[in-house]
This record gives sequence, structure tokens and C-alpha cells, in this order.
Amino acid sequence: MLILSYLHRNIWRNPLRVLMTGLAVGLPITIFVLSVAVVDGINRFLDNSARQLRLAITHKSSIVYPLPAGYRGKIEALDHSRPITVCAMRWIGGKVEDKPQPLSTLAADPDTFPATFPEYLTDPAERAAWERDRQAIVVGRGTAAQFGWRVGDRITIRASVPPYSAIPFHVVSTAQDVVDPVTLFCRGDYLEEEIKRQGYPEGLVSFFFAKCRSSDDLEFYRTAIDAHFANTPDPTLTQDEKAFMSQFIAQQFDLPRNLTILSALTVVVAIIAAANTMSMNFRDRLAEYAALKALGFGRALVFALIQFESLAICVSAGALGALGPWYAFTYTPLRRFTVPLIQSLDVRLAVCAQAVGIAAAVGLIAAAWPVWLAARLRPVVAFRALE
Amino acid sequence: MSAADIELVDLHKHYRKGRIDIPALDGLSLTIDAGSFVAIMGPSGSGKSTLLHLIGGLDSADSGIIRVGEYRLDRMSERQLTAWRSRHVGFIFQMYHLVPVLTAAQNVELPLLLFRMPARERRKRVATALEVVGLADRMDHRPNQLSGGQEQRVAIARAIVTDPDVILADEPTGDLDARTSQEILQLLSLLNAEFGKTIVMVTHDPRAAAFGQRILHLDKGVLDRDERNPARPAAAAHAH
Ligand SMILES: Nc1ncnc2c1ncn2[C@@H]1O[C@H](COP(=O)(O)OP(=O)(O)O)[C@@H](O)[C@H]1O
Ligand SMILES: [Mg+2]
Repeated sequence: MLILSYLHRNIWRNPLRVLMTGLAVGLPITIFVLSVAVVDGINRFLDNSARQLRLAITHKSSIVYPLPAGYRGKIEALDHSRPITVCAMRWIGGKVEDKPQPLSTLAADPDTFPATFPEYLTDPAERAAWERDRQAIVVGRGTAAQFGWRVGDRITIRASVPPYSAIPFHVVSTAQDVVDPVTLFCRGDYLEEEIKRQGYPEGLVSFFFAKCRSSDDLEFYRTAIDAHFANTPDPTLTQDEKAFMSQFIAQQFDLPRNLTILSALTVVVAIIAAANTMSMNFRDRLAEYAALKALGFGRALVFALIQFESLAICVSAGALGALGPWYAFTYTPLRRFTVPLIQSLDVRLAVCAQAVGIAAAVGLIAAAWPVWLAARLRPVVAFRALE
Repeated sequence: MSAADIELVDLHKHYRKGRIDIPALDGLSLTIDAGSFVAIMGPSGSGKSTLLHLIGGLDSADSGIIRVGEYRLDRMSERQLTAWRSRHVGFIFQMYHLVPVLTAAQNVELPLLLFRMPARERRKRVATALEVVGLADRMDHRPNQLSGGQEQRVAIARAIVTDPDVILADEPTGDLDARTSQEILQLLSLLNAEFGKTIVMVTHDPRAAAFGQRILHLDKGVLDRDERNPARPAAAAHAH
């Protein structure tokens, strides 16, 4: 009883110090939990890509070099016994006038887009609008929510590559059921018209997506396409969508690696902060701990006091830091929050438990130095230092 | 109720500061009767605290014999000394050294945690100790809610609650005003007279030393003078 109340009251001796330490430990734990959620989301996105039996065909030298639009017909004609649907993509990026956010807009072949990306335009009315309306654009649901766009809206996007003009579109779908919440798809024929009008070179595409019927076909085309164009001025690089996307993600954000480094750094900060607090506490209580030893307490009590205090602060802060985002992304409107490529952040309880484990490790490490000092603490020396 | 006599033979304790050798105790020999109240005086740096720490098993001598009651401290390991302290000696410090987050009663109870003792027995002992020092009505106060004199009384209660053989006090009134000092010294005298405790008290204040039955003067680590105090005849020897 007495020991318990001693342990407990010890923690709250310096409330401000405890709160600051709690923040310094809790925030890194929050960052860790969110980082894992983001990386999870990316992996979910990539796994979805893998299931689509799609190939991405880019220029062999770099994704930024264009390919001739005529490649589509050549790919389709490679092997008639293995039907393949090819959709050319022209990257136009784009921005809404007066808004800073960059968009990721792609112009797709209107006839093959629905078959290549069957997860889009599942609604027959939306699909009909896409086929009928040359200004049709499919907007990712996250982007739509961000700009307040609805099906039927007229919008204008300024292309960030040729033709650089402000192009009017007509929203036909806000792609509610797809994994990727941000990308926009407009019609390639419409874009080509605009490119022609502005006097830029026609017939160039950024890359192709090709939908195969089976994984066997996918394996065939993965090598056959590159072999076919190997000795042309524009050789190709064919990857499955997952490989393409992970390369794309790595190029754009290098998120998984950066997030791992970031969380590791913040955990180091947490250790430093907590260790500093525990050392300050120890120094402040030197006389008290020396007196305990003089009374005949061995190392155990002072050990327990320091270790318990460190663990209690770090584990509580860690639990709050981990369960905070879990609650926010499970039960509050934040659960509809989207990040590029990621549907929504899914903070898993297993990750929270792991985070609390990390916080406990921080607590153990932070107490190591004062515990060592406590073991060596000799009352006579401490009392004399205080005289 | 128990008390121990103390025997010190040819004690040497040197400190080294760089190349300089400081003899804190330089061949000191001394016996203290069980149940007596001894005051130790001497200029600063004469070795008073060092002597008290050796008698209390907080430090070991370089050479010499330290016997407290039936225990030869000079032959004990640090672990053994720690265990011995918890049962046989009560310390009173100039700065009290109470645990600030615990109440008076909890501070007094603390040393009893080292004993196998039912909670009821512990509480009884704590109540008795606080009663002896006149703080029965301050059980639940924290140190910062007490005056300096009251804090020192709590420290005294903490020192006697384990019923030790010896009470060692290093400048117990060094931080207190004259009137409060008198009260604390009267309390120590009472512990000596009523309960027969052997008390060794270091002080540089002659008025405090006057409470001792015997006044030892240390100088440069040796016994300079050994006075009997005629005003305080040693009655404790007959007490049990
Ligand atoms: N840990 C130590 N290191 C170096 N010198 C010490 C140490 N402890 C005590 N001394 C020296 O030993 C001498 C006696 O000290 P002490 O017993 O504290 O004297 P007093 O209590 O009479 O003032 C002093 O000169 C002091 O400086
Ligand atoms: Mg001293």
C-alpha cells in the first residue's frame, strides 16, 4: 500500500515536467502509428493493383519520355489468340485556376478505358455519359470532395504540360468505389483535339495500360511487348501494375522509407527527452534516495521507484499517443480523410499495441542511466555533496 | 527496548584528493557506554561526520575495529551493513531528508517495510512513535505542511520506530532556531532517559552539546578532549 502510493505520487511530483515528457513520448508514438497506417494503405493499394492483371508500358529510358500512340494497334496485334485491351494515357497533371493543389489528371482512350479499368464507371448511366460526352471527366472521390464537385458539374482544369490551356470538362463520375481517391480521367480524343488546336505535336502518349485476360497472358505480354519494340527508336519497359505503381510511389514520395526514418528519429527524440527527465528527477531527489539507502533500503526500492516512474510515464503517454489516432480514424469524421493513393487511414489496434511496446522500451532505456547511478549511489557521498 | 555500547579501536580513514592525502580519522580509539548520550564537538573538518558514518555502518574504515553491540562492522560487507542499519541504527540528519510526497505517518512507516510485520502492528508502531515526538495530530500532513522543528520530529519518529540500539544525529539542530532546537534536544534527552537509547550527536553548538552526558572534542581526526558533563549525570546505565 505504502509503496504503491509512494510510486504513484512520485510520478506527479513535477506535473509540468511529466506533461512535457508525456508529449515528447506520446507524439513520436502518434507519428509511428500514423506512419504505419500510411504504409499499410500504400501496400493495400499495391495489392489491389496486383489483382487487376494490368500491365503498364512506359518508355524504356524513362517514364517522362513519350511513346507513339500507334503502339496500341501493334500491341493488340501481337497475338490474336491472346486478346488484350490497351488504353493509352496522356499525363496532363493540371490545376484548378487560383487553387494551389496540383491534380493528377490522365487522358485515357475513351473506347478502351472502361474495359481496362472495370472498377470505374460501373454505373451504366455514368458509362453512357463517358461514351457520349467528349468533355467527360471521372474525378477521384477524394479530389471531388476536396473541391466540392458533383456529377454534372462543369469544371475547368489548366493543363500543366502541353497544351497548357484551360480545358472545360463535365464531371460524369466521382468514382466512389475505387481504391485510388485522387486521380482524374478525361478522354484522350478530346485532349488530342485541344493539343492540335494549340499547335503541339500530336500522337504521343505518356504510357499504356493493358488489361490481360489471365495471368498466363500477363506473363506472356510482360516480355513479348518489350521484345517487339526492342530495336525501335522507342523501346518499351513493361511492368505489372504493382511494380509500376511502387516505382511510381517511390519516385513521387519515397514514402515508406521516409516514414520509417521519420518514426525512428522521433523515437530517438522520445528516448532523449524521457532520459533527460529521469536524470533530472534523479538529481533532484538525490538526498531522498540517499536517505532511503541510509535507512537500510537496498537498491531494489530506488530501482523500482525510478523504473516504475519512467515506465508509467512512457507507457501512459504511448497508449494515449497510439489510441488517439486509432480513435480519431475509427470513430470521427477523420476516418474519411484521404492521402494520395490511399483510400483512408486504417489505424490497427495491433499496431497500437506494438507502439505501446515501443513506448515501454523507451521507458526502460530512459531509466537506464539513473538506475545505474542509483546502484552506485553512496549515502555518504551524496550527503557530503549536499553540504 | 535495547541499547548497544560502542567500541572503536585505532580507526583510520583517509581520503585522497588528487595527490593530497586527507586523514579524516587518524588512529581514533573510543568507547561509548550503552544507553549514554554523547555529544561530539570539534572544528569543521575534524572528522565528526566521518566518525558518525562509520559508527552507523554507512562507510567503512581503512583500518581499525568498529564494534556496535555484538556486531563487528569492520568485518561486514556492504550488503550486510545495509541490512544491519535497517535494524540497529536510527539516523537523524540536519536536513531531515523526509520523503516529500509521503505523509508524516507514511514517512515514519517507511523503515518498517524492511521488517516482516503485519500492517496492524506497523500502524501501531507508527502511532506510538509519532506520539512520543508529540505529532500524533499531524499524522496526515505532508512535510511541506510542517515547520522545520516538526519535520525533524517526524525524522526522529522515523529513526526510533524500528526500535534501534543506537541513534546517530549529525547536527540535528543545525537548521533550527534556538527555541525549536531546545525542544528537539529535550526530545533526544527523553529518548535517552525514558527508552535508554544510546545517542551519539554531532554538533558545533555548545548549548546543544550541553545536553550530552559526555562531550567529546575531535581535532584533526583524533580525540582531543573527553569531558563528563556534570550537569547531566549518566543515569542511563542504570535504566535497564
Ligand atoms: N569523500 C571525501 N573526499 C575527500 N575528502 C573528504 C571526503 N569526506 C570527508 N573528507 C575530508 O575529511 C575531513 C573530515 O570530514 P568530516 O568528517 O566531514 O568533518 P566534520 O564533519 O567534522 O566537518 C575533511 O577535511 C573533509 O574535507
Ligand atoms: Mg560534518
